Amino acid sequence: METVLKIQSIKKAYRIGKILVPALRDITFEVSEGEFLTIFGPSGSGKSTLLHLIGCLDRPDAGEILIEGVNVLRLSDDRLAELRLNKIGFVFQFFNLLPKISALRNVELPLAITGMPEKESIERAKEMLALMGLETRMHHRPSEISGGEQQRVAMARALINNPKIVLADEPTGNLDTKTGWEIVQLMKKLNREKKQTFIVVTHDPHIAETADRIVYLKDGLIETIKEATRSN
Amino acid sequence: MKAGRILATAWENLTQRKLRASLTTLGVVIGITAIIGLASLGEGFRLEIRERMQQGFELDILIVIPGSFTTGLGEFTPDEISRVRSVAGAAFTTALMTLPKARLSNEDSEPVNALTVAGVNISELAQMLPERLTPIEGVMPSPEENDTVVLGYKACFLNGTTRLVNVGENVTMQIGTPPLSINRTRRVAAILGKSGTSGITNFDYWAFIPTNMTIDVMQGEEAYNIILVKVSDVEQSEQVAQNIEAVFENPYFISILVPLAFMRQVDRILNIVQIFLMAVASISLLVAGIGIMNIMSVSVMERTREIGILKAIGAKSRMVLAMFLSEAVLIGILGGLIGTLTGYGLSFALSYVLSNFIQPQQSVTFGTSDTERMSIDPVFSFEWTIIAFIFSIIVCIIFGLYPARKASKLNPVDALRYE
Repeated sequence: METVLKIQSIKKAYRIGKILVPALRDITFEVSEGEFLTIFGPSGSGKSTLLHLIGCLDRPDAGEILIEGVNVLRLSDDRLAELRLNKIGFVFQFFNLLPKISALRNVELPLAITGMPEKESIERAKEMLALMGLETRMHHRPSEISGGEQQRVAMARALINNPKIVLADEPTGNLDTKTGWEIVQLMKKLNREKKQTFIVVTHDPHIAETADRIVYLKDGLIETIKEATRSN
Repeated sequence: MKAGRILATAWENLTQRKLRASLTTLGVVIGITAIIGLASLGEGFRLEIRERMQQGFELDILIVIPGSFTTGLGEFTPDEISRVRSVAGAAFTTALMTLPKARLSNEDSEPVNALTVAGVNISELAQMLPERLTPIEGVMPSPEENDTVVLGYKACFLNGTTRLVNVGENVTMQIGTPPLSINRTRRVAAILGKSGTSGITNFDYWAFIPTNMTIDVMQGEEAYNIILVKVSDVEQSEQVAQNIEAVFENPYFISILVPLAFMRQVDRILNIVQIFLMAVASISLLVAGIGIMNIMSVSVMERTREIGILKAIGAKSRMVLAMFLSEAVLIGILGGLIGTLTGYGLSFALSYVLSNFIQPQQSVTFGTSDTERMSIDPVFSFEWTIIAFIFSIIVCIIFGLYPARKASKLNPVDALRYE
């Protein structure tokens, strides 16, 4: 299968006061198209940092990130924004929905950013929410729906632009086990049906093991990369 | 994102924080109110002053006198007057002779209030200043009626009710100091209406006698000492004045009063006053701008996470900038619109107060109560409205730019982490 993402020797350190704290020391791996990958590790291992770098939200200090063969570090901030808009979908632990607008408006937002006519974008957002089983919740604000529903709204938003790669940062971290599991199953389903690449950061071993491959991260280094032992 | 959508989003964001948005807008409203109010009232004030000056000084009449205005010595020869008559741009010219030490008294030997006695060609003068030389009683005599006199309104009345002379009665004119004085008795042919101005063409205290008679009492001397020149084009007044100077061998010998130049000077002063007022009013708009900057900076801080989310899902910095700037622009538009309306309201209110409650001191000597009454009507200039409106938006953009740029430059990761 085609490589959709290539990470080459990336390093990233954060400056906390006068001390430079390394978050990622030297990370190299590849992700194939349609793969469901989890990045697993204890807190502070650099999982989220890695995900932010893959998602072009931040730039590494060294190394290369290639998305569909394009070295994203050579791109301007504006081009990176375009990349995030068109090729990457984000799902966050704390959902990160805009609190003052409805679920529908939240999902429709990326389409609005592309400049799509409102009528069309609303229609597509409705379809996407229906796909997530949220037909009855689309006019509610995030605060008016449950955590699981919020996360499904966030997924709908991540998927609305039909991205190549969906990145999820502890998507179940703020949900109860059952709801969390439903979210993971939903992601798996979408992965199978839409052939989108999913990279999910988690510190939950059960969720990590649902993946095709698991990247074990510790202290900013890849400890091991494990192929799935069982199919889901 | 499309511009319309950005504006709609900005509007939503503003309406979600109604109190804050209204207070910020109020600052702009006050600034624009002050600017529009002062501009329209200032313009009204200027027009009022111009109108009064036009009442006082016929703008198209140049007054030429020998010597200077402080020492009006000397006289014009008939030859000089005929040269002035033929000057380019002079539509109509007439000359006056004022008689020194002339006193008028009525049939009961009571003095008449004619402070200035002048020999004129009365029909020429009436033709030049028809409004000033309209009789309220009697008929204007022809220049050949040598035994007549035309009196100004206040020359005939001691006050509003007590009369000194009537049309048809005789007045005795004494010229010079006894025993060398000359006495002439003349019939009052007409009494002029009240001039009601404090300008130079206020003839209320004048007595006009025919030129021939003046020459007679001056023992044959044609001593014209005022030339009035009506210009064909008011705007050319200064040029005509120069032309007049040129016909005299010694231009320094004469002085020319050009009312237009005087009015232009007053206009210039009023302009400066108005600019000063506008500058003061603009300060309030600047204060409003600082308010916008303050509130938007707070808003950017509060919405840091929102900005992070927008950037994470693909919004460019430009879009974030546009979103925040739109909020500032909307405040500017709203504040500008409301401020324009309240500004008009304010100017009406102020003009009402000025016109009705603040009465100027009544002048006893000159003018009448009707002319002294202030009536400043605000003048609404479309240009000023547009300028104030644009100024309001520009101020909002300038002060909104810093917080908006701050928002747009946020690093998405840091913004997402912001609690």
